[in-house]
Amino acid sequence: MTDDKDVLRDVWFGRIPTCFTLYQDEITEREAEPYYLLLPRVSYLTLVTDKVKKHFQKAMRQEDVSEIWFEYEGTPLKWHYPIGLLFDLLASSSALPWNITVHFKSFPEKDLLHCPSKDAVEAHFMSCMKEADALKHKSQVINEMQKKDHKQLWMGLQNDRFDQFWAINRKLMEYPPEENGFRYIPFRIYQTTTERPFIQKLFRPVAADGQLHTLGDLLREVCPSALAPEDGEKKNQVMIHGIEPMLETPLQWLSEHLSYPDNFLHISIVPQPTD
Amino acid sequence: MEDEFFGEKSFQHYCAEFIKHSQQIGDGWEWRTAKECSDGYMCKTQFQIKNGTTASHLGTPASVHACLPTEEDLELAVDGSEVMESTTASEVIKYEYHVLYSCSYQVPVLYFRASFLDGRPLALKDIWEGVHECYKTRLLQGPWDTITQQNCQLHHIMAEHRGASCWSESISELC
Repeated sequence: MTDDKDVLRDVWFGRIPTCFTLYQDEITEREAEPYYLLLPRVSYLTLVTDKVKKHFQKAMRQEDVSEIWFEYEGTPLKWHYPIGLLFDLLASSSALPWNITVHFKSFPEKDLLHCPSKDAVEAHFMSCMKEADALKHKSQVINEMQKKDHKQLWMGLQNDRFDQFWAINRKLMEYPPEENGFRYIPFRIYQTTTERPFIQKLFRPVAADGQLHTLGDLLREVCPSALAPEDGEKKNQVMIHGIEPMLETPLQWLSEHLSYPDNFLHISIVPQPTD
Repeated sequence: MEDEFFGEKSFQHYCAEFIKHSQQIGDGWEWRTAKECSDGYMCKTQFQIKNGTTASHLGTPASVHACLPTEEDLELAVDGSEVMESTTASEVIKYEYHVLYSCSYQVPVLYFRASFLDGRPLALKDIWEGVHECYKTRLLQGPWDTITQQNCQLHHIMAEHRGASCWSESISELC
């Protein structure tokens, strides 16, 4: 029987086989071969694509290179979304490898944030972690940590060091013994079919009667359109880290085991693929 | 600790008061409801010439006092409702300010976006350069702690907001 702790490792080490191809209108001095890479689901594009950038820059003139950005089937990819979320939301029903197009020109200012340095990624990541702890513990746990602990969380993610990361992150997964879970669950629900970028609301893991709320309870409350009607056909998949957890799964358990390193549950609602 | 926070209903109530006052003094804040839900937010749009020393209002009522109750806001001097005809589109900067309720922190959050009239956002370093002198030192020591890039949940605008250390100051100024 799989130990719950094994789930943490499975989530951390999840990878997406990806093929990067240079956009055809980019000016090259020599042929730019596609570049293959296993992308970590839990990381961010601009953190793990240095080799991709170097590979394509070798085929181009210095003056034709400016800020790199990525696109999938015409959709610019937001670097500040975790890679696994981007894949689940946009490409989960397509065959592997994930085909991403690389651009160095015409940065889409209206769709993407600039990523001037790794500091921008760190700031964004830590901002998400702080917000998650505000929900879980009124920021008490993260604020009591020293700066070096914050740094260790970031370095753990950046260097793909599971043990280094979880040595500190485990403190963010604790709760007082008299409670049955966190104060509120940090989650965001994404759907490509709506105008809103995501849904995020206050939601407690435990009901007033002490029963644990489930994933189904959450969706019924904040995104009822995601669920199939009583006798109706299942129209959507509710996906986290590429899997569809059972709707009966307690939300507290999901938050402790299937959150991304930023401590949020990033949930994708995608149309059920027609085979 | 509990007294520093308030719920979304209180936020909406105080916003209504704030906007009533803003309308009385012609300050330009208005309430907008987000699509697909009952959430709303306060917003204001302001224009400024890039060198930062003067500003003119384009298309808004005359003699508006342009001092916003925010910390990183630039103090703008207004010379009435004249349009600066000699200014090219690329020199005029549009600032949009949004005040949303953060259910995570249970406080109002200020988002702002600076762009040229053609929609291109201002570069981060230009925004940092535009921050008021009294905050420059702090900003330059920790730019990513003072202003954070964010994609807020009500709309797709790439907006930026104050770091978490400034929440209590936001409340006292906005309520």
